[in-house]
Amino acid sequence: MKGVKTIFNISLKARFGSLKLDLGYKGSKRVLGVFGVSGAGKTTFLECLAGLRKVMSGQITVAGEIWLDTETSCFVPTEKRHIGFVPQDHLLFPHKNVLGNLEAGKARALQGGRDFQSILKKVVAVLELEPLLDRSIDQLSGGERQRVSLGRALCSGPQLLLLDEPLASLDLRMRKKILPFLIRIKEAFELPIVVVSHNPTELQVLCDEVLILENGRNVMTGSPNELFASDLLLNVAKERGFENVFPGTIIEKSDQVDCLSLSGKNGNICIQIPPTDSLLGDRVLASIGSENVLVGLERPRGLSARNCLSATISRVENAGTRWLVHALVVDAVPEFVVEVTYDAIEALHLESGLRIYLVFKTSSVTTLNG
Amino acid sequence: MPTIYETVSSTLLWAVVASLLVALPGLTIAYLLARREFFGKKVLSTFTTLPLVLPPTAVGYLLLRLFADDGWLGRERLGFDLDIILSWKAVVIACSIMSFPIFVRTARVAFEEVNPRLERMGRTLGMGRQKVFLSITLPLASRGLIAATLLGFTRALGEFGATIILAGNIPGRTQTLASALFSAQQSGNETLANQLLGVALLVGFIAVYTTERLASKRSLRKEQTG
Repeated sequence: MKGVKTIFNISLKARFGSLKLDLGYKGSKRVLGVFGVSGAGKTTFLECLAGLRKVMSGQITVAGEIWLDTETSCFVPTEKRHIGFVPQDHLLFPHKNVLGNLEAGKARALQGGRDFQSILKKVVAVLELEPLLDRSIDQLSGGERQRVSLGRALCSGPQLLLLDEPLASLDLRMRKKILPFLIRIKEAFELPIVVVSHNPTELQVLCDEVLILENGRNVMTGSPNELFASDLLLNVAKERGFENVFPGTIIEKSDQVDCLSLSGKNGNICIQIPPTDSLLGDRVLASIGSENVLVGLERPRGLSARNCLSATISRVENAGTRWLVHALVVDAVPEFVVEVTYDAIEALHLESGLRIYLVFKTSSVTTLNG
Repeated sequence: MPTIYETVSSTLLWAVVASLLVALPGLTIAYLLARREFFGKKVLSTFTTLPLVLPPTAVGYLLLRLFADDGWLGRERLGFDLDIILSWKAVVIACSIMSFPIFVRTARVAFEEVNPRLERMGRTLGMGRQKVFLSITLPLASRGLIAATLLGFTRALGEFGATIILAGNIPGRTQTLASALFSAQQSGNETLANQLLGVALLVGFIAVYTTERLASKRSLRKEQTG
């Protein structure tokens, strides 16, 4: 790819206990997701990137800096790698308060010629940490700890942010609150990020490219939407199915429902979502499970479901025991993935190019903010 | 005859000096045993524990052999006299050796209780090993280390068997609280023996009570953050 700067150039071979890590990845996308079931080697991979584990052979180059090259016996130790590592259990320093934790990496930020105070100010603003600064760690909730952990990593002036299952230790309600902060970090800090997760939705929302790990090997690489609708992923993420995730803006609010405008290249569509705490004009993420969308050949009438979008089928694919209809919503860009039975495909003669209506209830839309 | 005050204050002084002597090598060995894997680790661990299980008089006799004129650290071998035996230095050395194991064992547990992943987090934030030790490991282990120091100090304070062999029991010169109590009891001076017993009880109680308090705070904090 001419003109596009390679950010990650990684090849690793290592054995840790029963896990054999053998993978290679080269890419120019800024936010890389690593997906796999537990035991696939995701965290180990991250720890190798961080220099916390020794590998037998391989090389790691991130944004032009060589951190590891076993051929030339080059090994940059963890403390010199300029990384920000956020573990799933946050691991804050219990003997320091929140500010003390944020300042833990100050020396490195200063070494890198950064203005620490301005970084700190930006991090505190982005992660809304101002009211927490004087608190001790045991006074923080799980979500607050995770935010402080993210803040601590960012304040050290990293050149690469490593997130290990950033939402795994939180309950569903907290996840919804922290995910927007991760999106903010992605937008506010121009940093390469590697996110490890076993949750496809998180990766769809955050990543530009996803690497699938299975038994320590990367079996697939591609854009998150492409990968997560594929045969392989549906089998891996069997219990979850596919989540359609779209960013949108709140354009109307009432006690009963909010209206969310999803914008694409060719215009906007509006959907109704359950009321949120967000304000008019706020950007939120809407998530709709592929199994919660109905397909109609005509615009349905006399139906309680409030959302009905006109769409064209772009492809129909078989994913193991499931059948997926990919549909392009006419007025906008987002491609919906809808799970149907083979019976439905036969009965409705669903095939690419067919004009359909996608119907879903307001309450089947989950918002990921507020 | 020295007064009780003189005996107690010199005993306290010798125990403090012994504790200071033990601190640095004790900390180093405790940290190595807690955090590193190396050849001979078990042997080192055994040697540091040995004075705890041997009869104190055996340790005293071993030290006596070591510092005797023909010993490894004696006048004949070194070419000069260290002038240890039957001096206050002998008291300090005997107390140090006898308190070393309890200091190292307690400090080792204190270091082992620090989550090594917190130390690794420090490294990801750009801290070198030394900085990680000073700003993460040491503060997190501090309560346990204070407890180790107190326990080592009380051990030094009550040392008798090794001291009496290496330093003797010379009133006003090498007599400690423990040996003074022994002498008082042997000579039938009950008043003095009772007074010395009172002081010993008081100092021992304060030290152990403080250690207990530190330990309970530590386990409370572990529960909260663990």
